[in-house]
Amino acid sequence: MVETAQEDFMTHLSNEYRPSRRCMLQSSAVGFGHLALAALLQRDSVAAGKALPQPPQHFTPRAKRVIFLFMKGGPSHMDTFDYKPKLQEDDGKELPFDKPRVQFAPTGKLLGSPWKFKQYGESGLHVSELFPHVAQRIDDLCVLNSVHGTNAAHGGALLKLHTGSDAFVRPSMGAWVNYGLGSENENLPGFLTICPTLAHGGVKNWGSAFLPAACQGVPLGVASKPSLEAHVKYIKNQKWSKDLQRSQIDLLNSMNRQHLERSGPESALDARIQSFELAFKMQTEMPIVQDLSQETEATKSLYGLDNTITEDFGRQCLMARRFSERGVRFIQVTHSDSLVQWDQHGNLREGHSKNALEVDKPIAGLLTDLKQRGLLDETLVLWGGEFGRTPTAQGKNGRDHNPEGFTMWMAGGGVKPGIRYGATDDYGYYSVENKMHIHDLHATLLALLGLEHERLTYRYAGRDFRLTDVAGHVHEEIFA
Amino acid sequence: MFSKRRIEYTYISTRLHIVGLESRNATPYSASQLTGLPKVSPVKRYSSCLFILPLLVSVSFAEEPDAVGLKFFETKIRPALLEHCADCHGVDEQESELRLDTPAHLMAGGQSGPVAIPGKPGRSLLVSAIRYKDENLQMPPDEKLPASVIADLVKWIEMGAPMPKSEMIAKKTRIPFDLDKAREHWSFQVPQRPALPAGDDVSNPIDKLVFAKLKEKGLTPAAPVSKRTLLRRTYLDLIGLPPTPEQIQAFLSDESPDAFSKVVDELLESPHYGERWGRHWLDIARYADSNGLDENVAHGNAWRYRDYVIAAFNSDKPFDQFIREQLAGDLLDGDEKAKHERLIATGFLSLGPKVLAEVDETKMEMDIIDEQIDTTGRVFLSLTFGCARCHDHKFDPIRADDYYALAGIFKSTTTMESFKKIAIWNENIIASPEQLKEKEKHDGQVTALETEIAALTKQEADAKKVTKPVETTTKVDATGEKKTEVTTEEPETPAETSEAQPTVAEQLKTLKANLKELKTKAPELPSAMGVTEAKPTDVPIHVRGSHLSLGRDVSRGMPLVLCIDEPELQAPGESGRLELANWLASPTHPLTSRVWVNRVWRWHFGTGLVSTTDNFGILGLKPTHPKLLDWLAVEFVENGWSTKELHRLILLSKTYQMSSAFNEKNAAIDLENQYHWRTKQLRMEAEVFRDSLLAVSGQLDTTMGGSMLHVKNREFIFNHTSKDETNYDSNRRSIYLPVIRNNLYDGFSLFDYTDASVSNSNRDTSTVAPQALYALNSDVVLTAAEQLAKQLQTDAPDDTSQRIRSLFEKAYGRLPTPQETATISHYITQLIPTVENELSAWTVVCQTILISNEFIYVQ
Repeated sequence: MVETAQEDFMTHLSNEYRPSRRCMLQSSAVGFGHLALAALLQRDSVAAGKALPQPPQHFTPRAKRVIFLFMKGGPSHMDTFDYKPKLQEDDGKELPFDKPRVQFAPTGKLLGSPWKFKQYGESGLHVSELFPHVAQRIDDLCVLNSVHGTNAAHGGALLKLHTGSDAFVRPSMGAWVNYGLGSENENLPGFLTICPTLAHGGVKNWGSAFLPAACQGVPLGVASKPSLEAHVKYIKNQKWSKDLQRSQIDLLNSMNRQHLERSGPESALDARIQSFELAFKMQTEMPIVQDLSQETEATKSLYGLDNTITEDFGRQCLMARRFSERGVRFIQVTHSDSLVQWDQHGNLREGHSKNALEVDKPIAGLLTDLKQRGLLDETLVLWGGEFGRTPTAQGKNGRDHNPEGFTMWMAGGGVKPGIRYGATDDYGYYSVENKMHIHDLHATLLALLGLEHERLTYRYAGRDFRLTDVAGHVHEEIFA
Repeated sequence: MFSKRRIEYTYISTRLHIVGLESRNATPYSASQLTGLPKVSPVKRYSSCLFILPLLVSVSFAEEPDAVGLKFFETKIRPALLEHCADCHGVDEQESELRLDTPAHLMAGGQSGPVAIPGKPGRSLLVSAIRYKDENLQMPPDEKLPASVIADLVKWIEMGAPMPKSEMIAKKTRIPFDLDKAREHWSFQVPQRPALPAGDDVSNPIDKLVFAKLKEKGLTPAAPVSKRTLLRRTYLDLIGLPPTPEQIQAFLSDESPDAFSKVVDELLESPHYGERWGRHWLDIARYADSNGLDENVAHGNAWRYRDYVIAAFNSDKPFDQFIREQLAGDLLDGDEKAKHERLIATGFLSLGPKVLAEVDETKMEMDIIDEQIDTTGRVFLSLTFGCARCHDHKFDPIRADDYYALAGIFKSTTTMESFKKIAIWNENIIASPEQLKEKEKHDGQVTALETEIAALTKQEADAKKVTKPVETTTKVDATGEKKTEVTTEEPETPAETSEAQPTVAEQLKTLKANLKELKTKAPELPSAMGVTEAKPTDVPIHVRGSHLSLGRDVSRGMPLVLCIDEPELQAPGESGRLELANWLASPTHPLTSRVWVNRVWRWHFGTGLVSTTDNFGILGLKPTHPKLLDWLAVEFVENGWSTKELHRLILLSKTYQMSSAFNEKNAAIDLENQYHWRTKQLRMEAEVFRDSLLAVSGQLDTTMGGSMLHVKNREFIFNHTSKDETNYDSNRRSIYLPVIRNNLYDGFSLFDYTDASVSNSNRDTSTVAPQALYALNSDVVLTAAEQLAKQLQTDAPDDTSQRIRSLFEKAYGRLPTPQETATISHYITQLIPTVENELSAWTVVCQTILISNEFIYVQ
């Protein structure tokens, strides 16, 4: 116990208070092959360009990477993956227990789901008719019906889900994963976020806060623009040809090397020289990964690229697969646009129908494709929004924000397939059984990646920080 | 220094140790160990407590309770506590530093304050815990107590929590550490001017102290840097722009001994100085032009604070005054101009990111207060107070009590106008008398017109015998300004009646149109983000930081460990902000001056004398040069808290003027250059890089001040959508570009700009490939390269060598070597046939120079 504490303390010391190691971190974290600290320390012995050392996991990882399908706005659990027959029965009646102390907006009586549920697959789990394609993959899903958070507003809830804190600036979960494990590909970032939303926390939701800058997510496009335009910023030079740029970098290198010779050994200067080479490699690699024309028509169709409704999100999902194949550690795919996508305070039926139609086929396609390529076992797919919605009606036909109990699901990556875990009450208002707080979700996600949430810490401003703050419980029950 | 209180607290802390109350040691002393008594069971332990009691002097004893109460305690309460609670909160274990086995301990409470508030079961933690009210605090944890026991405990507290007086140590101050020992921490002691090492080899005191240390460590100082390099270093350091070839020439040709000193004076007098060093301050003030966090609305008036900071640095406002104005400017006297300036200065407290859509308004308020405490602690003391929100600080001697003593000060301050989502921060009007008069005049006109309309409407309605409501409402519009509006409903007049009274209807129509027109011309009074006084109030301890479980009240005041005098406020009838400011700005404050001179050192040299510039607590690093730090701190205060004098001292030292040459022998001893045997090469900060690109390419627009936001105050920069409303298309200096939280300008965020949400005096220098992509492909860099290339063509129309010479001097501040000239000429010659035109070829070369290490790393 004491020894572990001491050991951890030393690890913490290294990130902020040991200048020599800090410098190493700076110089080695040049490119996208950012590795966790312990790995960096080994890196000296690894000749440049050779295989990267294994990241220092705390225990055997079940998953190598994460694809997070984020449904911005808060999809309704009672209308998708949390079947509530009692809610249908009591449609129009009063909620027979108290509503939470803090609510986002007033709501009225119970509102039954406008959608029918059916059982699917061998598992016989219920899915609503909103997700007919995903329902076909139900035996791959580990449906978490008992997720709950603490914040009833979009901004707070987004930040809570992405960073573990709704009040303070903290590193995002992708950044923590990237800090803990680094990228598997030297030429690509370890954390990519495709078409992220700039609202409600914006950059904070993929930022690195006090973690090394190399841990932050690299955005491709933004939610308000079509995914066809989703590129890493400054990835292409509009003026110079590739050959010209190569010659320019050669000239730059020679000048930088002469400067380095005059300066004497300086790791930062050396690192900067390398960073241009890496940038050039990435410039070459990125368009290749993003070039979907290399995919077969069958694959494109699987993701719904042949249909104008599903095309946009399908492209994001297909890119996610291509990035995951190349070793990107954490890939977030956001479903949002210039409207608040899943936020149906009114017109639940129209809104959710439209949203589900856009994502259902692409998501099912992604799961099918990952599986047939043998990638699903090592890739953890996570689906969900920042909160769920109330079983009680807002206005005539809407539902309000509900962080008290909602559904997310996982697939692949070492979770039990074809199960539902935890439960909300009869109506879906509160999480009641095997409650999984957002902190627990984070702890569990890290554990699946082989990281112990209590040991993945970073010392900053006199304190050790974790993704899970001072909370978090690993729900091992869902491990395969 | 601590004389009076030290004695008093020595006594208290000694007492604490005897009783073994709240030692933070891993193995707390028990009374039995200290008194030499054998370890006894909880019941028997009372006797040991009683045994010590006579040694103690009373602080404030409660009245002896009546016999009925005492009997109730002895028969119902004491046995219940011993049976159900004392295993974890007794002699052997003190979970949460709480013991419930004796009246003394019951009174004292634990980490979260007292557990029983006499007469107030609703506010007593004990009751909340045993009733399982709060999910986070349910006691006993395994099983709820029998209902009868709960009822007894509640009743007992309602009775006023009677306990035998003889067993109560009424302890006013809970000190969970040895106060004297805590005060021994180096940074908590008032700095004293150290004696300087003897010897005449160097005269500047900084050099004396630095060189003595070098000698001691067996290190050799680097030779003085060349004049050219020194000039570029100093320009970039003091004003954030490289010297022009003319400025270089002037310095080179000035052979007088005080040539450099003249340059320093000149730069300190340049308005660009404030733009450079004010920016450092904005880093620690977590300045931003938008709220960030959840609802990213525009801080439309934050720029006034930014301009205030720039002006404060340019005028060398004494640092103590600078502190007072920012924390309590609204409470300082002065003429109108000074008053406005000081109201603007309090924007410091108001600039933090806020969760504006937090549904729980009390939580929002406490989160805002928390941000203010944390920022104030970090900025002026380099201590992390935020930790003490939930519990005593784990490492530093900062108690939850200290945190809530400060929380009271900020709770007694108005930062917000409204907490209703989306909440509105307070702004103070800073209008001139003329503006006020004009506004008054306008308001008068509006009122007159409205009265007229109301009268006519009534007349019209009366005439028709149709009563329609006329309401005058005062409401707050989007800009936070109160406006009086008359709401009238158009009478539903059938066509024939309106024909019957054409004049009134027409008159009304005209008047309403006039009113509308008049309102659009309403003069907008200038306002600034900032605070004012609120009703003075203390804040109770929030157990585990939650406003739903309140503990005992804490008097407002300063952190005990740092208090020379009384920690409580002298004037509790005020918020205490002014006292806080005066306390921080006191010449004998152990931290304020040290923290500031250390930061100034950090910004000049890249590393602070205390390298953890934002943490002077137990986990911070110790100073590499403690004497130098103290000497600078004392000198700084004695020089009237003048930052410019501090710059002069540093810049004119040999230490500053060393070259950055590598020395293998030194490196073997001190690779990190902790002892300063050379000057570290520093990468330009994001702003310096951008400003330098603009400057050398002749594009820089040096207009100062004002707002560059293009959305109105409190308007969304990002609402629910992801539409990007930011715009950085400007050639103004970087400090004037809007700082948009959650979506900083790429040119900033890529190059380790501050996060702008959290105070930071020690920016990182990361090197990542996206920076290289920016250097290679961004418009900012490409445009600068092209503009520079055009300049070169003008400078030297037909002479390649001359162009290269000019390029090097503009960008690097030096001349090229013949080899460099040859290499580049060769490259250009080869390039020209492959590109569109000569300009393109030169643009490629200029870009290469502008993104090279020599340009971006300052030697």
